[in-house]
Amino acid sequence: MSGRCRVWGLMSDYVVQLQPAFVLHGKNYRETSVIVDLLTRDFGRLSLLAKGVRKNRSRTAGLLQPFVPLLISYQGKAELKTLTHVEMAPPAIILQGMSLYCGLYVNELVEAFLHQHDPHPEVFDDFHRCLRDLSTDESFDRILRGFEVRLLEHTGYGLQLQQEADRDAAIRADLRYRYTPGLGAQVQADGAFSGETLIALRSGKLDTDLVRKEAKRLLRSVLDYHLPGRPLKSRQLFAQLLKSQRQTTC
Amino acid sequence: MQINGLLGELIQALCCLPGVGPKSAQRMAFHLLQRDRQGAGNLARCLLEAVDKLQQCSVCRTLTEEKICAICASPSRDQSLLCIVENPADVWIVDQATFFAGVYFVLHGRLSPLDDIGPEELGLELLEQRFASGDVKEAVLATNSTVEGEATAHFIAELAHRHRVKASRIAHGVPMGGELEFIDSGTLAHAFNGRTDL
Repeated sequence: MSGRCRVWGLMSDYVVQLQPAFVLHGKNYRETSVIVDLLTRDFGRLSLLAKGVRKNRSRTAGLLQPFVPLLISYQGKAELKTLTHVEMAPPAIILQGMSLYCGLYVNELVEAFLHQHDPHPEVFDDFHRCLRDLSTDESFDRILRGFEVRLLEHTGYGLQLQQEADRDAAIRADLRYRYTPGLGAQVQADGAFSGETLIALRSGKLDTDLVRKEAKRLLRSVLDYHLPGRPLKSRQLFAQLLKSQRQTTC
Repeated sequence: MQINGLLGELIQALCCLPGVGPKSAQRMAFHLLQRDRQGAGNLARCLLEAVDKLQQCSVCRTLTEEKICAICASPSRDQSLLCIVENPADVWIVDQATFFAGVYFVLHGRLSPLDDIGPEELGLELLEQRFASGDVKEAVLATNSTVEGEATAHFIAELAHRHRVKASRIAHGVPMGGELEFIDSGTLAHAFNGRTDL
């Protein structure tokens, strides 16, 4: 990723140039403009006004879409600043089919967990890597779980996967655990998660089906705990799509 | 100066139109009242009548005065060919620009998790019933070439496959008369990815 980025805090105007960014979401504004919600590397999530992009033959409409790695420039005095330049930062990332739905899920997660103007360069780099992996690799479970674990960690809700919550003992692969979000893992004979799963999540190597299933359940409960009353719509969409695919193959 | 009373109400009401702010609304209100009172009356009558009588076609969900729209009711249309579009305006655009002789289905939006729009909001149950009826042989997915449009097309294609209906997607990439030099890199990347055999 290019490090070309300059910021000028002039007397009244605020100018940022060639900032690495991804569009998370766009909302039409007036006749030809769009208000885009972006994830930038050095300035976090922010909304910008992209003027005239919905005009006929606009050269930026195709770029201001989710999952396109961008370099953007913007300026302005008010809270809502204006996008002045946008170019693609190759290589392009093309998500299709299931990977597209995974991308929408990752977008929704980032929008839910990051506050506006709260920079997290490490989340940006993870996000970029995650999209790149989704476009080239079909092990979606591994990629998504890895991103979720790191997102939680970088935003201050990190999983406790090293040692038990109530005593100074390392997590063991041959024991079962109960996991309480915000507290950690506690040994329990009939616990929902095996130590193997917790260790696998730490190393990012989800090799068996059972480990993948348990990891998914664990991350789902932790994410839901941190997003009370906010069901993730893309997850429901994904579930409906999978159901539809299963019925096709049956 | 704040305009109160009926005139203020009219200006406020005109602001509900897309792309119309208070200034344009004020200009429209004064134009209608000062220069074209007959046009204003006409507009009011038409609007009332349209709101009262126009509804969604029970088959394709486009806007119509009847229970079933003219396209769905036409015997010259191929009922086995179904084109799926996002908005009622797209029906007229596709119908005017192409030789498409089938029928349509209007979604009134696209799948967008961040806007809280899921399959229920798009009437996909009704669409699935049509696929299940066995009358449809091919579904042409003409949703917009945006990420949400693609996600919607993929979702509907899965529904179609489940009912053994062929699903096709309109092509996107380099526009007619477009020179590569002036095409944005995102579109060009998609055009290369979706290249076809000759």
